[in-house]
Amino acid sequence: MPMSTGRCSALTIGLCVCLSLGVDASLVWENPEVDLHPTLSDKTAVAHFKYKNTGDQPVKITAVQPSCGCTTAALAKDVVAPGESGEITATFNIGDRSGEQTKTIRVRTDEPKSEGTLLKLKATIPRLLELAPAFLYWRPGDAPAPKTIEVKIDADFPVTKLDVSSTDPAIKVESAPVPNEKAFRITVTPETGNRPVNAALKIQPDFPKDAPKTFYANVRVDARPAPFVAPPK
Amino acid sequence: MSEEGRDRTRFAWDFFVRRGLAVLAGAVFVYAGIAKVADPMRFASDINNYQIIPWAIGVRLAFYLPWLEILCGAALLVRQVYLGALSILSALMVIFIGATVAAKFRGIDITCGCFGAASNNLSFVGHLALDLALLAALIALWSLPCAWSIGIRTQPRGP
Amino acid sequence: MRAILIRQVLWLVGLAFLPAIGQALYYRGNAAWQQPPVDAAQVTVAQAKNWGAAVLWIDARSDGQFASAHVPGAMQLNEDDWTELLPKVLAAWSPERKLIIYCSRQTCNASHAVAERLRNEDGLKNVYVLQGGWEEWQKSDQ
Repeated sequence: MPMSTGRCSALTIGLCVCLSLGVDASLVWENPEVDLHPTLSDKTAVAHFKYKNTGDQPVKITAVQPSCGCTTAALAKDVVAPGESGEITATFNIGDRSGEQTKTIRVRTDEPKSEGTLLKLKATIPRLLELAPAFLYWRPGDAPAPKTIEVKIDADFPVTKLDVSSTDPAIKVESAPVPNEKAFRITVTPETGNRPVNAALKIQPDFPKDAPKTFYANVRVDARPAPFVAPPK
Repeated sequence: MSEEGRDRTRFAWDFFVRRGLAVLAGAVFVYAGIAKVADPMRFASDINNYQIIPWAIGVRLAFYLPWLEILCGAALLVRQVYLGALSILSALMVIFIGATVAAKFRGIDITCGCFGAASNNLSFVGHLALDLALLAALIALWSLPCAWSIGIRTQPRGP
Repeated sequence: MRAILIRQVLWLVGLAFLPAIGQALYYRGNAAWQQPPVDAAQVTVAQAKNWGAAVLWIDARSDGQFASAHVPGAMQLNEDDWTELLPKVLAAWSPERKLIIYCSRQTCNASHAVAERLRNEDGLKNVYVLQGGWEEWQKSDQ
């Protein structure tokens, strides 16, 4: 085989190495991905992303861009001297979220060949219970037959009782545990006559006792069309 | 060491380096192919993102190319089809790197789809570096003499 | 040597067709062969405008962004204040209406998160995400 292919290969490898060096920026991140496990009562989840300037030139952090408005990122100082360490504190506002949430923060610097770093904050927000469905709807013309909401309780939480009430007295609710399951069943019956209703169901489990949480389901009953009455002859 | 002894040593060294490189490169291509076989429609979307070929062709390629990749990756270890596999993989890498660089210049935001869902975590430069490394490995395989190259013998025929 | 190389290439190229065709047959009902699959969850601004009054616009951005400007008639719904904002959206909804959720741009995730919750938790049908988000709406308005 001609020697030129060997040189060609070496050139490609060299290019590769140079590109890799370009990818390896001076600002080195100790933990670009952070896993958080906030508790039920937490309103925010905070991650600390530590970095160090391993180069011999100061690095200026030019932009810190969270992927959503729910995450704010605070930077102590934007110019990092050689050998200096620092951190970015990201605060994720949990709001009404649950389950696995991943938020990213793009950090850009003034380093020439760097595309910046994508920091990842992964928060596993505990979900005390799950409503299926969280919205019940009776169309016009639907018979006011009862409908049910299945409430599944997370295995990690000792919920033994569910208090359910409706914001509209015309919506009757009844809650009962499902045998052999960590679940409850809420039976909802509209007794609205012909009146349209928009109501909320307040669902209060008996855990956690010190900071009780209220969950909501929504109910809507649209008016039934008036029954046709034949005109007198 | 005699001339023959030096030749044997060199042959053994080239043989193991080449085999090692072939195993490594082959494994990467097989892995990449399997990642794409797992979700052909996603790969079809990734091909479509390059905006080079129409969807109807891209979707058919999305079903075909991963299998070609797996087959050629494995074929790097099979004497009878080694050179063919090397040729196909080299051509694929050159075409693919060209398409990636062209997309970047056209300002198209792509995930390359090379490694299925795992591609999402690599930046453009990271991807390019990996692809060039693979191409370098293939070029190295071309340049290393091997007993499987047709017509080339590393040892003289016996008397 | 060239002939041998070509033969090897043809063998490999031909052999790869077998599993590929097998997989394509397996997917024959599921794959979109002529056009990219319409992401049933996404609509363009043009499609949304075609639907006219049937659309219930949902803005998944923050309070400040919503207050600054939004699609005319849009209602706010985001995961920060889901419990508080949802009842108003459900009161305005009806089965005939099409909900279109948008956030800032194509790459933001808030609209998808809101759409998923409306579909999965509340069981709503006809829930879509606006392709390109608020950015795309603004471009079409210029």
